[in-house]
Amino acid sequence: MGKLGLKARPRGDKIRIGLLALALILPFLPFITDYVLHIAILVLLYMILALGLNIVPGFNGLLDLGYVGFYGIGAYTSGLLTYHFGLSFWVIIPLAFINGAIWGILLGAPTLRLTGDYFAIVTFGFSELVVLFLTNEIWLTRGPLGLPGIDVVSIDLTLFGGPKWEFIGELPYYYLAIVMVLVTVFVMHRIQDSRLGRAWFAIRDDEVAAVSCGINLLAYKVIAFAISAAFGAVGGSFFARWVTFLSPDMFKFWESFLILCMIVLGGMGNIWGVMIGALVLVSLSEVLREILPLLGLPVEVRFLAFGLIMVLMMRYRPAGMMPIAAVAAQMRAGRVKRKKVKATVGIKK
Amino acid sequence: MRNKRTFLFVGLVLGLALIFGMTTGAMAANIRIGVAAPFTGNLAAYGDNIKAGTSLKLKEINDAGGINGQKVELVWGDDLCQPKDAGTVGSKFAADKSIVAVIGHLCSSATLAAMPIYVRAGLPAISPTSTNPTIGDVGKGWFFRNCYTDDFQGKYLASYVVPKLLGKNKVAIFYENNDYAIGLKDSFMAGARSAGVNVTGAEAYMTGTTDFTPQLTKLLRDKPEAIFLCGYHPEGALIAGQGRKLGFTGPLFGADGIDNEDYIKIGGKAAENTYCTVPFLAASASPAGKAFAKQYKKAYGRDVDWMSANAYDCLGILAQVIGKVGADRKKIRDGLAAINSEATGYKGVTGLTFFDKKGDCSKPAFVKMVKDGKFVAAK
Amino acid sequence: MLLQQLVNGLTIGGIYAMIAVGYTMIYGVIQLINFAHGEIYMLGAFFAITFISFLGLPFYIAFIIAMACCSVCGVLLDIVAYRPLRQSPRLAALITAIGMSIFLQNLAMIIWGSRPKPFPHGALPAYFEKTAVTFGGVNLSWFHLFIFTITIVMMTGLNLIIKKTRWGKAMRAVAQNKTMAALTGINVNRVISYTFALAGALGGAAGIMVGAFYNSIYPTMGYVAGVKAFAAAVLGGIGSVPGAMLGGVVLGVAEALGAGYLSSLYRDGISYAVMIIVIILIPAGLFGKVLKETKKSM
Repeated sequence: MGKLGLKARPRGDKIRIGLLALALILPFLPFITDYVLHIAILVLLYMILALGLNIVPGFNGLLDLGYVGFYGIGAYTSGLLTYHFGLSFWVIIPLAFINGAIWGILLGAPTLRLTGDYFAIVTFGFSELVVLFLTNEIWLTRGPLGLPGIDVVSIDLTLFGGPKWEFIGELPYYYLAIVMVLVTVFVMHRIQDSRLGRAWFAIRDDEVAAVSCGINLLAYKVIAFAISAAFGAVGGSFFARWVTFLSPDMFKFWESFLILCMIVLGGMGNIWGVMIGALVLVSLSEVLREILPLLGLPVEVRFLAFGLIMVLMMRYRPAGMMPIAAVAAQMRAGRVKRKKVKATVGIKK
Repeated sequence: MRNKRTFLFVGLVLGLALIFGMTTGAMAANIRIGVAAPFTGNLAAYGDNIKAGTSLKLKEINDAGGINGQKVELVWGDDLCQPKDAGTVGSKFAADKSIVAVIGHLCSSATLAAMPIYVRAGLPAISPTSTNPTIGDVGKGWFFRNCYTDDFQGKYLASYVVPKLLGKNKVAIFYENNDYAIGLKDSFMAGARSAGVNVTGAEAYMTGTTDFTPQLTKLLRDKPEAIFLCGYHPEGALIAGQGRKLGFTGPLFGADGIDNEDYIKIGGKAAENTYCTVPFLAASASPAGKAFAKQYKKAYGRDVDWMSANAYDCLGILAQVIGKVGADRKKIRDGLAAINSEATGYKGVTGLTFFDKKGDCSKPAFVKMVKDGKFVAAK
Repeated sequence: MLLQQLVNGLTIGGIYAMIAVGYTMIYGVIQLINFAHGEIYMLGAFFAITFISFLGLPFYIAFIIAMACCSVCGVLLDIVAYRPLRQSPRLAALITAIGMSIFLQNLAMIIWGSRPKPFPHGALPAYFEKTAVTFGGVNLSWFHLFIFTITIVMMTGLNLIIKKTRWGKAMRAVAQNKTMAALTGINVNRVISYTFALAGALGGAAGIMVGAFYNSIYPTMGYVAGVKAFAAAVLGGIGSVPGAMLGGVVLGVAEALGAGYLSSLYRDGISYAVMIIVIILIPAGLFGKVLKETKKSM
């Protein structure tokens, strides 16, 4: 295995490659049913969404409460294009990406110069308006009647004289989701290490200093928001072609909150942390769904637990379970220093 | 290191998840039937009705020795009446090969979300309460229901209840913005046109609205003689109360969504003089139906409702079919499809049930009204 | 019809005003949008019916005790959830507020069930149903008058407290500049608790009145009402109490007119749209001052 240079990679990477290998062979392990694959696909989908949302609070320090609006726009765009025009999934992905980005720019440009709280509220209002629009404009979206019978994803090589292969069952979607997650992670990594990413972190750390280095605050923030929205839309497109049924009440505020929980739990700004946050919360959600009736507890305990987790995380570990240095420092910086500063002279450990 | 702790935690959660995924393929000694409905959340009351009806029939079957010697077991799937959760519940049922049929779902939107999964897995589903007319198309032969569709209810209200029973001609519609009510409103308006009933206005509202005074004020301006409460009972009760406060004295009417004790509880005095169509009415039922109503009251201490009755019959139909063809998904579907005429129909507490090619059935509707604080049969 | 719609609007508007004032006061002193405020409103209604049903208390007594309980809840909310994060970045506090909101909603669902509950029959004074005044074809029942009176009395009372009492002055000082207020000897934490208590009482009163008037009480009633009241507070200028009162009334009337004349489906959308437009175009609202971007705002 010398080609992969396994010996040379840092420890963290080896673990990740191991997990990826596990994920690839998962469907062939014994006892793995379609149900487990269904949950796994859900996890992967939320990973994409969480990675997308991560850009705004994680890299830019702004609270986006309206993320589900982009998710819904992406899903309905994909669903409607498929329903009416039968477009191929592979054409829809870039379209959804662009559509999401456009909406991100439309919403972000006027609002990103606001302070954090106002921005949060405006995004919240936006997502509620999106849901209202989806519900009421029946002529366009069929509203509460829902959009059933969306085609499944297919690889259509008939133009080249090849076969047409439709995605039946969970297995093909599972691998598709893995590919999409890998692409998203790759893109996120590249952005993080690029000028764009560094500009974002600079803005997050200190806006005034960033401006004085020549960074155009608004432009960078809008780009961040647009990319975040684009990934949300892509996630939505996958969702539409996977469940093949859409209805407006799938896109309520609760989804935004859930995805926010994932990045808060995992570690804002940390790509792997966010993915683990998604994994933990979706699995926890399903596990609780099974256990709670057995323990005789009502299902609301699941939601209550999430609220409580958020409060506790903010209190004790606001940067998440796997924080990145920049965010951790920032979260700590504001805290009242209760310890007396020891008068040390000279010798550092 | 922090990472170690996280990995341990993640490993634990993953492990638990896998265990739960694995154990859903439990013992196949019993005949397992899935039941999908909202058992928690704000429509939990409906789910309770389904549970009550099916449990009553289950006890009956198992006390008599089961089906061909095998006991029956019900597996509950809580779909919260949400399409996303319905998909998860559906895929769980479909993946569990020991589940041979599904009774559900309750809400039409949940059924619509789950049906593609059942079709793909070849799992027959029979719903006691989903009334959306389009489900039959999505079901592709794997879906059956023993309740009437919204098409039928709407037309019945327009052509019989309003002009003949109530003797009114000018109606204002207040409809909820969801799949159930929109379908109902559309079929009502179509029926109203041919029955010569005049619809003076139609206002929509979102689920969860509590203040209807602006819309009511607008509707009442045209002086309707009756108001159609086209939606579910929580909002219906509020509309009744606020409408009366604004001075409306005519009759109110609705469909099966209004049929619930809570309507009277929340509406109070304003609920008087409300009519609603229901698929099952104990007072007008056959002797078998009346006996069932008594049994239900004894077991649960409350009056039987149409959902419980339909759910009871659903399990009865499945039991009869399984008894004939055995516990095999495809055979059960074929057995259900064979119930397609009056001769082969199932005689249950809700009357005679048989399915057409889309899995729909035609059942008569009955009319209830609220009088002196209780639901009684309307004459 | 216009007159009737105006009456409808003023009734809802008064309620929004009472909740909005709570938002604005809390924002004034700690610069935090208390997402959980809607839940205090909801708890007020639930406390009231619990006291009436289980303890058999008469309406007015239950009203007052429920208000007091809501005050306590507000203070507890601050001490448990917000005070430890006083120095943290706003992102953390906002997330905590949302978390508490979800926590309280679901706690209420577990305790009282998620089905809407009616106000106990016979608990309300009998004459509430009767018409008190008629003019222009519009009937105003005694219940309407009760709501108007309570709203006006409480708003006036609040204004008096803020303008004339020492506590009010302390609140205004803390809202202006916490550090300086502390330097002048004001116990900032206590003043903040006091603010939460006041906001809680008002919110609770609004909840009880709404619950009784519309006869439907359910755990998620705080969610939508809270957002609309926040829109009202923004409209009036966040941080300004008279602004919040005016904003509430304006929003209520706009909603009633919009629902009556335009589209009742976008009724909630009116609040969201107003909120977004006001924030983007006139962030200071009608009466407020534009917030300066402090270093703490992330």
